[in-house]
Amino acid sequence: MSVNRATLLWGLIAEHATTAGLQVAAADVCAVAVSSAQVSGAWVAAASSRGPDFVMCVTDQVSEQLAELQQLLGEGPCQDVLADAAPVLAADLGDDESGRRWPGFAPEARSAGAGAVFAFPLMIGAIRSGVLGLYRSSPGPLSSLQLGDCLLLADTATVMLLDGLDGGGELAADGNGHGARPGGQSSDLAAHRVEIDQATGMLTVQLGISAAEAFARLRAYAYARDRRLADVAGDIVARRLRLDPDPAPDAGP
Amino acid sequence: MDSELLSGTFVDLADTMVADFDIIDFLHMLTDRSVALMSASAAGVVLADPRGALRVAAASSEAAGLVELFQIQNDEGPCLDCFRSGRSVTAADLAAPGTPWPRFAAAATQAGFRTVEALPMRLRDQVIGALNLFRATPGSFEPADLRIAQALADVATIGLLQERNLRRSETMAEQLQAALNSRVVIEQAKGKLAERLGSDMDEAFRLLRDHARNTNQRLTDVARSFVDSTSADFPAPPGR
Repeated sequence: MSVNRATLLWGLIAEHATTAGLQVAAADVCAVAVSSAQVSGAWVAAASSRGPDFVMCVTDQVSEQLAELQQLLGEGPCQDVLADAAPVLAADLGDDESGRRWPGFAPEARSAGAGAVFAFPLMIGAIRSGVLGLYRSSPGPLSSLQLGDCLLLADTATVMLLDGLDGGGELAADGNGHGARPGGQSSDLAAHRVEIDQATGMLTVQLGISAAEAFARLRAYAYARDRRLADVAGDIVARRLRLDPDPAPDAGP
Repeated sequence: MDSELLSGTFVDLADTMVADFDIIDFLHMLTDRSVALMSASAAGVVLADPRGALRVAAASSEAAGLVELFQIQNDEGPCLDCFRSGRSVTAADLAAPGTPWPRFAAAATQAGFRTVEALPMRLRDQVIGALNLFRATPGSFEPADLRIAQALADVATIGLLQERNLRRSETMAEQLQAALNSRVVIEQAKGKLAERLGSDMDEAFRLLRDHARNTNQRLTDVARSFVDSTSADFPAPPGR
């Protein structure tokens, strides 16, 4: 039932990328997040072992400051999301809860111009690739529709960062979603299937690679054969299909 | 209804909730106890992801056929109707003609089930998921039993809200996403362990859960460190 929303959001991302005349990137996800969640700004930071400390893109100066502040202070919603494995929704940075939780960050963020910060982990189970951060200049919660959109956009950004790992990065958008990896499979991700997670785990052993790499290989395999991710995953779980350790995702079967 | 089993269940559930517990393990225990108490054949808890999908959080059996019955209900089924209406939904005989959910009914009878009951997990005016009970024989559940089943569904809701409150206050949306991500971690770990041992997913889940219990760790932590480990050995070698 969420598939339409995911497709709609992907359409907006591809449209933004086409207008900018560039390949689809995290910046497009940020731009769509700003308009669909009606926030003031957004940023994406990729995660290292220390935390979300490589800022990939920001939509404005305040976002940049918020991302940097959290790195500098070592605290804030974005620092918490990867440890908690859940979004952190600070609808009012001026409330007691925010002040207690982030004694350094909360007042600094407010003087930088943020009233609310929403941080979403870019993660799939044990795979962590970064953080999507959003801010509003005045306090206020996300509506449930906005929250759903942010989660779908975070999924898209997660996949983008992971595809970078795979060395593929074929994220060219032609405006109708064809040839763009997240577009071809975003609906698969929205209609979540446990087989995709199970197959990811199985591939870590079959191929001797990390879960992040296994997920990227799974998607690359499905993409190269123009098959649905859930179907390929189902074949792996049913042990009808094994992937070859030789990393040639674009070769024929 | 076995009253000793019933009181024992609520004592165990309450005991778990005052400790530092794992939500997926807790919901799994709740589905197991629902099966025993309701003389059901299977049970499961689905949660409503704000992305717009119903996702399985726990099931009394991790067998693929049962999980598929929950996944189908993103399109049609008593869970979806229950989630939309906020009311319990009964199908006394799935094999009877004229079912409102032909695809679900076919898959459920194929899996050996004839009766299904979906009970809403409600938080004030919001429905956050549903408890599903399946029985192999046709005929409705007893009304008195269904009151208990609804209480179990309410306990599942409370468990979801409580899990991490010991640390700090969090919104329901944050808790729900944490639970859903826990489930993904566990699925990844099941896949890795099943591949390592050549076992099925149900067996892999049991091994993960037993190891968590025996070593007094949270199921999600055991699963996460196993998936993160570069070794395929289970349990994950210390220090990765």
